[in-house]
Amino acid sequence: MQTLTQETAKKAKDYKFGFHKKDKSVFKTPKGLSRSVVEAISHYKNEPEWMRDFRLSALMTFEQKQMPTWGADLSTISFDELYYYINPSDKKFHKWDEVPKEIKETYDKIGIPEAEKKFLAGVGAQYDSEMIYHNLKNQWEKQGVIFLGMDDGLKKHPDLVRQYFGTVIPSADNKFAALNSAVWSGGSFIYVPKGVNVTIPLQAYFRINAANMGQFERTLIIADEGSSVHYVEGCTAPIYSTDSLHAAVVEIVVKKGARVRYTTIQNWSNNVYNLVTKRMLVDEDGIGEWIDGNLGSKITMKYPSCILNGKGAKGEVLSLAFAGKGQHLDSGGKMIHLAPYTTGTITSKSVSMGTGRSSYRGMVKIVNGARGSKSFVRCDALILDELSRSDTYPVNIINEHDVTMGHEASVSKVGEDQLFYLMSRGLDETQATSLIVNGFIEPIVKELPLEYAVELNRLINLSMEGSVG
Amino acid sequence: MSKNIVVKADQKRVVPVIWTGNESEIEYDIKLAGRGAEVTLLMLLFGDGNKNLATNINVLHDAPDTKSRVVVKGALNDASHVDFEGLVKIEPGAKHANAWLAAHLLLLSEQAGGRAVPKLEITENDVKAGHASTVGKVNDMELFYLMSRGLSKEASTGLIVQGFLESLLSEFPIKDAVSARKKLKWL
Repeated sequence: MQTLTQETAKKAKDYKFGFHKKDKSVFKTPKGLSRSVVEAISHYKNEPEWMRDFRLSALMTFEQKQMPTWGADLSTISFDELYYYINPSDKKFHKWDEVPKEIKETYDKIGIPEAEKKFLAGVGAQYDSEMIYHNLKNQWEKQGVIFLGMDDGLKKHPDLVRQYFGTVIPSADNKFAALNSAVWSGGSFIYVPKGVNVTIPLQAYFRINAANMGQFERTLIIADEGSSVHYVEGCTAPIYSTDSLHAAVVEIVVKKGARVRYTTIQNWSNNVYNLVTKRMLVDEDGIGEWIDGNLGSKITMKYPSCILNGKGAKGEVLSLAFAGKGQHLDSGGKMIHLAPYTTGTITSKSVSMGTGRSSYRGMVKIVNGARGSKSFVRCDALILDELSRSDTYPVNIINEHDVTMGHEASVSKVGEDQLFYLMSRGLDETQATSLIVNGFIEPIVKELPLEYAVELNRLINLSMEGSVG
Repeated sequence: MSKNIVVKADQKRVVPVIWTGNESEIEYDIKLAGRGAEVTLLMLLFGDGNKNLATNINVLHDAPDTKSRVVVKGALNDASHVDFEGLVKIEPGAKHANAWLAAHLLLLSEQAGGRAVPKLEITENDVKAGHASTVGKVNDMELFYLMSRGLSKEASTGLIVQGFLESLLSEFPIKDAVSARKKLKWL
């Protein structure tokens, strides 16, 4: 591992979070994917038989499914070159003090927001493929809120997991959902009981830290009737010499009158394939919200979806893509109206610069019978230079007449008069452009928790430096 | 039906299209090949019975200072169905290109439906491009107003539909507008 560290050290210099911790993994499956690898993962985790069978059938689905023929170029992913499971530590930690020093240092370097230290709330920090740290505030435990790593959740609440696991996103949904279903590890399991409002956001940090390591977290959130919860997922990753694959699955069940907000700041290093399936099933009068910020990765394909399944359900997707050099961010959202009087809103803001390509890809579907439904899509794109590209692929399928559906999109560059005005006030071109870009993405940033908003602005200013002129 | 149109430098073209259920496919490939080329494609759709239409409109901006405007307006009755796919592509170097792509569908019956996919692919930064689509039914308030003035529901709906499509017809060249009105029996 030492030589690898040296190898990557040079590349790491170009990347803010490109440091690399010594690999101390305990259990590691051999490279590549096979029936025996999947069985080994399941056996190692001591899983019930139904989960092993679920994994094995998902593996067969994965082998049968074709790669997507649309969207970004995925032809360079080599499934045989990846490790599918690495476990860094056998021990689970419940107190911050017990977390190994080496891992704490890793987090210090990312500069984990103070919020975590203050609240030490339900923080699940994923180091390699395992949830290693969990601490849940006492009051929530008393209220019956469950916030565990997915593996722990399966051990401690097998019936609850079995009831919902794979129901929102079946393993046959797409090739990468099948892959995740076969080899998943880590992720979060959250259950909020009836009528309980979790006031402080639950946060988790994800981090890939072994070369060639694929991350396949699996998150399942269940908000029971009338409850509410906000889950925050932020990730930064060290840089690697070979391509990494991140194929997560996030399933969320929003029951009658419940509200779930899921916030993501994705900042994988520029060699990661980020292919994620995220979906919410929203029941009567429930509210489901996705806030999805994509800054990093080489290729992202991610379309958070809301299935509005009950009368009066509401869905919202706020999507942000910032595509820099060599990146292709193919993101957006889906709103599927299956019940009457459902409301959906998708807002997307994308910025492309320095050969970056950002694509909005979205879908609004209103089925016959979903009368009185309303859906609105707004996507704006900003292209900062001549080398970049921006695409919009919205699909609207409406089979009910008693609806209101609107879609609006615009693509533009930074306005010369705006730039001129700011520069006449004494800002240089970079500062002025940064300011305009930050203003452009404001509708999404203002929905983020403060620390994230600050970090996001900082990251954008950082990537704008020296890019204009 | 499939048509290929190349618009040369400084040419301005208006392409009126009207569909009342005779074709099942309409395809237009439009290339703005020279500096200053402009195209306006106006597509009026009126469907009833179980008439279906798949329509595909591609506009390519291949030169600077080009302008395109595609507006589709459709009123769909009974079990008619329209599948609209539009793509505006702006090539590198097509500076100051200006593109607008819009599709508006009015669904008049429970069985009517539509699919609208207005796509943009842009590889030049110094441009202005937008697209929009709406799908909905006749506005209840407008209907109520007309009916409160003594019109029947059918007559009121007819007037609203006529108004919705008229805004597009008024941009048609006179001859085409006259024949379109004949087709829609609005004379």
